Amino acid sequence: MSFFTIQQLEKSFTVGETNEMILKGIDLPLHKGEITALVGASGSGKSTLLTIAAGLQSASNGHIYFNEQDLTSLSQEQLRQMRAEQFGFVFQFAHLVPFLTAEEQLLLMLDVANKKKNKKDVARVLELVGMTHRKTAYPSSLSGGEKQRIAIARAIIHEPKILFADEPTASLDSKRSSEVMMLLQSLTKTLNLTTLLVTHDEEMLRYVDKTVHMRDGKILDEQLS
Amino acid sequence: MNLAWKEMKKNKSKFFIFGLIVLLISLLTFMIAGLANGLSQDNAALIKELPDGQFYMTTEAEDNYALSRISSTQQKELLLKYPDATALSIQMGMFHNAEGNQQSVAFVTTTESDIFPKVAAGEMIVDISLKEEGFKIGDILTSNQFSGQWEIVGFSDQTKFNHAAVAFIHQEDFTEMYRTTDLQLLYLADEEVKTIDGLTMYSNKDFLNTIPSYSAEQLSLNMIIWFLVVISGMLFAIFFYMMNVQKIGLYGILKAIGVKTSTLFIMMWTQMLLISAIALSISLLLSQLFQNFAPQGMPFHLTLNTTLLFAAIFLVIGFFGATLSGLQIKKVQPLQAIQQGEI
Ligand SMILES: Nc1ncnc2c1ncn2[C@@H]1O[C@H](COP(=O)(O)OP(=O)(O)OP(=O)(O)O)[C@@H](O)[C@H]1O
Ligand SMILES: [Mg+2]
Repeated sequence: MSFFTIQQLEKSFTVGETNEMILKGIDLPLHKGEITALVGASGSGKSTLLTIAAGLQSASNGHIYFNEQDLTSLSQEQLRQMRAEQFGFVFQFAHLVPFLTAEEQLLLMLDVANKKKNKKDVARVLELVGMTHRKTAYPSSLSGGEKQRIAIARAIIHEPKILFADEPTASLDSKRSSEVMMLLQSLTKTLNLTTLLVTHDEEMLRYVDKTVHMRDGKILDEQLS
Repeated sequence: MNLAWKEMKKNKSKFFIFGLIVLLISLLTFMIAGLANGLSQDNAALIKELPDGQFYMTTEAEDNYALSRISSTQQKELLLKYPDATALSIQMGMFHNAEGNQQSVAFVTTTESDIFPKVAAGEMIVDISLKEEGFKIGDILTSNQFSGQWEIVGFSDQTKFNHAAVAFIHQEDFTEMYRTTDLQLLYLADEEVKTIDGLTMYSNKDFLNTIPSYSAEQLSLNMIIWFLVVISGMLFAIFFYMMNVQKIGLYGILKAIGVKTSTLFIMMWTQMLLISAIALSISLLLSQLFQNFAPQGMPFHLTLNTTLLFAAIFLVIGFFGATLSGLQIKKVQPLQAIQQGEI
């Protein structure tokens, strides 16, 4: 079994009287050092799949194995700890804490992940995302691309095993998007991360290792790039 | 990392305004409570300021002290038996000074006592509030009911009764004015309860409540104070609620990256307690300053204890309000916050 495996995953939402099946049996292995991209029409269930895998919402059926553990059997508190220590997150918007400087965002993440606070690590990661010169800036004074870089730095500072990214480039122009994707690509390689990414942008697929097409809650096909 | 402090440092003006609101609301409550207490004090300071003890009046008086009559022989017996007791009478009346200015007062006479001011025949000690009316030591006063005259020899503090200044006069003068050697009341400044045959016993508070004007007024004043306290407390709670609602998105994101719910609660409590404590302290200080520098004639009375009690109540209600609204923190799904876009 691979490092992170999604097995027979199903998710249904009850809307009013009807029970709608959004994910209809997903099987997907993720590998170390690889970016797996989920693509597909709007509403096909990409975000739902990613957030369930990340422990941000529960599955209706199926299993998610990580480190020999079934995430679907963990308590809320165990999932929180898992997210804090093992997962990193990047979303469409950076979602930085408005009252913390770039540097403090990372220190907070170390705190949350129960890792020793080390200014050297923070400096190294800021260097990695090319934001050393903005380390004392608050989010309100950063550009969209800069914010996203800090968000990526926050997602990796605590050395997570898995990186989840839901449309990380959707709010950026194409130049910034490419930069962010290149950054994700190089981080995945150098830190040996397992990265699951959702994107709408076909252009971004050249930075990923595997592309998974979804339609109507099912996997249509998988392509290695 | 101290998130609570970091946020307050970054959003100084927001938290300043918030603190200012707490300050103003609590100051409003303190001031109105001070005025209400002042009114009540104006009505009964003479009794309220006495040490806890017992009042006695004759049982036939049926709770109306004006009808109570303790004869001079009975007074002597009682005072022999209870050397610390004081017999006293209170009568509303009037005097005027040399210029003919009239002043209505509550004439009070007492037997020998450590608690009440001592005056000789022909002398009078009046409540300090009369100073503002232009009365001073050495003034000569007369009354239609009294053949002689009095000289003001001193002023007493916190001695008002039935919204009038108290005038302490000697028993001899009192006897002449009201043509009786009977006194209405016996007062024993003793926590220990002693029953006396033929006399009904009242605690200080019970005695106050036998005075009809006092008990009715007190009810309204208490209502005013408690309404204010409760409504202010609720306002605090609502403000904390609004503060939390604004931050729901932030709480969701923090939860998504793995921040414990308890950490968020502690952040909220720290901010709430810090701001309330600072604002309430300033408000307490201002109201105490006012207490000390308010004009003598203004009925304003606010003890430190009352203020501290209100401040504590505000803190408790505010804390509950904040915690209740903090349940939002518990409920917020990290997912919602992420999907709601930029915060
Ligand atoms: N909490 C929910 N309750 C009910 N229906 C939901 C809920 N969350 C998602 N859905 C539905 O599930 C379907 C898949 O949603 P999802 O967000 O996974 O799509 P997506 O592939 O990420 O789309 P997009 O590309 O637009 O982000 C949609 O039809 C959506 O309406
Ligand atoms: Mg989506």
